[in-house]
Amino acid sequence: MSDNAVEVKNLTKVFRPGLKKEYVVAVDNLSFEVRAGEVYGLIGPNGSGKSTTMKVVLGLMAANKGSAKVFGLDSGDIRARNEIGFLPENPYFYKHLSGAETLRFYGKLCGMKGRALQDRIAELLQLVELEGAANRRLGGYSKGMLQRIGLAQSLIQNPRLVILDEPTAGVDPVGSRQIRDLILRLRDEGYTVFLCSHLLEQVQEVCDRVGILFEGRMRREGTLDELIAIENQTSMTIENASPELIAEIQNLVRSHEGTRLVEEGHSRTSLESLFIQIAERGREGKS
Amino acid sequence: MSDDPPPSTEATPRRTPRAAGKAVPIFSLGRVATIAASTVTQLVRMKTFYFLLAFALVVVAVGNFNIPATPAKELSMIKKVAFGTMDIFAWLFAIVATALLIPKDVEDRTLYTILSKPVRRVEYLLGKLCGVLGVIAVSLVAMYAICALVIYSRESLFVSAEYEAMVASAQYTAAEIEEQLSLIQQQGLRAELGIAVLASFFKAAVVAAVTIFLSTFASSSLFTIIVSILLFLIGHAHHMASSFWLHESENNMAVQMLVKVIKILIPNYQLFSFSEGIVQGEAVVAALVWQMGGLTAGYLVVFLLLSLLVFVDKEF
Ligand SMILES: Nc1ncnc2c1ncn2[C@@H]1O[C@H](COP(=O)(O)OP(=O)(O)O)[C@@H](O)[C@H]1O
Ligand SMILES: [Mg+2]
Repeated sequence: MSDNAVEVKNLTKVFRPGLKKEYVVAVDNLSFEVRAGEVYGLIGPNGSGKSTTMKVVLGLMAANKGSAKVFGLDSGDIRARNEIGFLPENPYFYKHLSGAETLRFYGKLCGMKGRALQDRIAELLQLVELEGAANRRLGGYSKGMLQRIGLAQSLIQNPRLVILDEPTAGVDPVGSRQIRDLILRLRDEGYTVFLCSHLLEQVQEVCDRVGILFEGRMRREGTLDELIAIENQTSMTIENASPELIAEIQNLVRSHEGTRLVEEGHSRTSLESLFIQIAERGREGKS
Repeated sequence: MSDDPPPSTEATPRRTPRAAGKAVPIFSLGRVATIAASTVTQLVRMKTFYFLLAFALVVVAVGNFNIPATPAKELSMIKKVAFGTMDIFAWLFAIVATALLIPKDVEDRTLYTILSKPVRRVEYLLGKLCGVLGVIAVSLVAMYAICALVIYSRESLFVSAEYEAMVASAQYTAAEIEEQLSLIQQQGLRAELGIAVLASFFKAAVVAAVTIFLSTFASSSLFTIIVSILLFLIGHAHHMASSFWLHESENNMAVQMLVKVIKILIPNYQLFSFSEGIVQGEAVVAALVWQMGGLTAGYLVVFLLLSLLVFVDKEF
């Protein structure tokens, strides 16, 4: 058996909104894999095809061309779905259910029951720090709490792979920090995590490997180190961008660069600029 | 930087990945039951059952009108109002609940989370249908109980009053008294009334299946509700409509075929109208009951299959 949790090969997905002839190529000949045990992040601006890719992997959508496999099984296979926990983008769960009832519902859908389900619910509520709100209806949950109950929901049947679509979108900084810590914990517990985001900072903090998607195509892929190493050479873009930045960098050089704080701030901007650069190159290529 | 690091041997830390989960059944009634139960919970928490209170008030109020009519007429009127309301509740609720719940799951993306669990789409549709029908069944039984109570109490009141009056006047023979009382009992609480409730339930089941089918491809709840109600109305004029069309197009085979297909696709709700006779104290024709049961099952299967045909490949 292969070592890959997710294997996407030459995936193409075309939408024809409405009855018109025009069509949108949401995903264009995309290939990548997520290895078992790693945290893989797909990043790209809104509309670049991240959610579509995830839906094809889950079997919620069919590909026009190419294939997606989960642990060697065709996506859409009911056995494959038993291995996946999914948290969709901006999810809404049944508002009339409490947190614990929500987890019970999804657990039962996975064939769990009795003591085992009860214990798993308690364990997950503790993991996402929602024990206090377990019996409150979701109608009164904040965005961050919803996202965390959604994460717990995705883990209920002990899947091997967790797919998270924009797990921190719309969540405040404290909340997204909590979610980030959760993802790191999942990683340490041996879950394979496949997430996507347009928020680079978070991807950078949790992912082992990153793929940059733009207009449905994979523009760059690799470990963070690899991507940032390449980026160091092209950090010229920052200098060109704004004279104030140049002045600042000169200041830094003067005051003996290399303090820890500066390095962190610097590398953070660099992935972002790579991202923007790729986006711009893509736009130029098109026009 | 010419010396590229060997890709990812050390960059991707090798943690021990989790083991594969247990096998899942291909089809599971347990999952259908879970979705049905959650649908019932949802409808209950939408305060559906408050309707029963209103119903009880109406029936008790009608039962206590002091209308200048014969006891038999008064009982007949209570039944007409009560069973009429039950029938309307059943089919209207079947349409509205079904048309609101499924598109809402799509819109809220709750469906993504359900279908990304090991759940089959047929299990989802069946679960939703069973949940809506469960609520309708419980409501109908409760309404029937309320109305049986009212009818029974009025009936025994009328019977004993009539008996005393007739005996007191000393003009009637025992046989005449017996006959007069049986006229009242004819309109009273009889086991056959249960069949009328069953007919309302079966009709609601067909209506719900049709609505599920519509909501698998309609883009809005409003559209689904309106078309379902339209089909419901046309289905009541089924005989008239189809004979009109078949007559108009006598010579054209293609149109005739089309009309036949449409005839199957629009359920014949007239099937269920014999229950009105039962409510009015007529005898039950067993053959009609069997026919109704068989056709209800047939319509359910056909419409669930059609829904599945659309729903299985639907993308969200
Ligand atoms: N159901 C759909 N029908 C038509 N177009 C769609 C549909 N879903 C997505 N798209 C289009 O596909 C492209 C990719 O969308 P999506 O995968 O949601 O991007 P992302 O998740 O990266 O923001 C967008 O241009 C979007 O408009
Ligand atoms: Mg998206």
